[in-house]
Amino acid sequence: MVLDKLCLEGRTAIVTGGGTGLGRAMSIALAEAGADLILAARRVERLEETASEVRKRGRRALVIPTDVTKSRQVNQMVARTISEFGKVDILVNNAGIVRGLEGIDATPKQLWEITDHDWHLGIDTNLTGAFFCSRAVVKHMVERKKGKIINIASGFGLRGLRNEFMYCCGKGGVIQLTRVLALTFARDGINANCIAPGLIWHPDQYSRPLSEEEVKESKEAKGRFIPNGRVGEAHEVGPLAVFLASDASDYATGGVFIIDGGALSAGYAPTGYAPLITI
Amino acid sequence: MVINKFGLKGEVALITDAGRGLSKVVASALGEAGADVVVAGGNTSALGQIATEVHKLGRKVLTVPADITKPQQVQNIVQKTLSDFGKIDILVNCAGVEFAKPLPDVTEEEWHRVIDTNLTSVFLCSRAVGRHMLERKKGRIINMASGLARRGVSNLAVYCASMGGIMQFTKALAIEWARENIAVNGIGPGWFSEKVMSKEEAEKDPLARYIPLRRKGQLTDLAALVVYLASDAGSYVTGQTFFIDGGVMAHG
Repeated sequence: MVLDKLCLEGRTAIVTGGGTGLGRAMSIALAEAGADLILAARRVERLEETASEVRKRGRRALVIPTDVTKSRQVNQMVARTISEFGKVDILVNNAGIVRGLEGIDATPKQLWEITDHDWHLGIDTNLTGAFFCSRAVVKHMVERKKGKIINIASGFGLRGLRNEFMYCCGKGGVIQLTRVLALTFARDGINANCIAPGLIWHPDQYSRPLSEEEVKESKEAKGRFIPNGRVGEAHEVGPLAVFLASDASDYATGGVFIIDGGALSAGYAPTGYAPLITI
Repeated sequence: MVINKFGLKGEVALITDAGRGLSKVVASALGEAGADVVVAGGNTSALGQIATEVHKLGRKVLTVPADITKPQQVQNIVQKTLSDFGKIDILVNCAGVEFAKPLPDVTEEEWHRVIDTNLTSVFLCSRAVGRHMLERKKGRIINMASGLARRGVSNLAVYCASMGGIMQFTKALAIEWARENIAVNGIGPGWFSEKVMSKEEAEKDPLARYIPLRRKGQLTDLAALVVYLASDAGSYVTGQTFFIDGGVMAHG
């Protein structure tokens, strides 16, 4: 049965950045498919909210506060996972930031205003974290001769966006990391793929909570630039994560799975420059 | 529940066939997920085998012998489907023929045959089914392409052109119908075996050496992705061709 292969019963999944947005939505989806979850991120309260959703679905959830830019914390997180669950089947490298604390609603800095700290923070969170986590789990996966790594990249890992140096470079790096992981460990039973989401609605990326009216306006404004007319909802990425975490995708590796309402096939949206064009 | 998003209960899928075995796997996968199936193509014995498989799953199936490179016959397929099932929710363009020859020796007849079977059929079926999907403002189209939509191989210029054409057609049509609730996507298989192979046989294949996962693919490796793109699970994906190829594309 084709759909049976999507089952994740008995599997253990680590999701970084599991407290919010895509990380939370994917954790819930993986739990619904049967997996137990280890949730790693910096903010415990957010992780606990996700953990509660996972447990509601009858699966185990372990919260491990982790800063993925610190390799010692990452190694400890993985070691504790293996110690408490016996194994890691799935790693979802989802932790990432568009900007720092100032939020995506702030005006981006000019290149010459970007500090060394800004650069390192962006690259470390978006790319180094994925490298550290992959490095921490892969030896274990090689020993078991099985493992699924899912990296969350972005459409902005494939296209450019003005002023977004760290995000575009970091996400581009994540795509390459995926390919190198896939090729290096192809003979060890490990599949590494990445998801490249387009614009997915993500209230946590703003500097402050938005009113209902602001949410509606923001979604509509962004949706206008997207071929299918709307931003995505985080839960829409869940089934793709389940597919890539499961046996159903055993022959897929090194792949980039783009989920963006058509944005990358159109080639022009969203750029912040031009609206929809038809000829 | 996430698994429910992959369900196709009550949906009707039209699949084109070229007797290669791919459409049987696609029909079975969509049938397992709950869809009723219409299969159309020139190979009546292949159509019969597909019907048997889908019946076993308890789904309704209609076979329509037809030359899918002929506009009138394609129109006929759609009419028969609508008459029997009332609607078409999903179109999977599976028909395709492989062809290898040094370019100087390729005849016009061969060029037209390959382009017609592989690419024109996608145009004709998408147009005929699309008109219906536009009326309902609902639909999923999945075009089976190939890794050779992106890469080039000696002696395969005609085939590669047809596959590249499918990928571009997919992108542009996805944009055109993006606001009509119709998603258009493609699947790019790598090197696949049409007959069922054991893992050992797949690993011994001479091509396996060039595939990172060190084995040729089985057609069933594509099944779940077809269901994903045909169902609610794939709700935010359009205009994309996903490659399932044992890692070949990662090499570039």
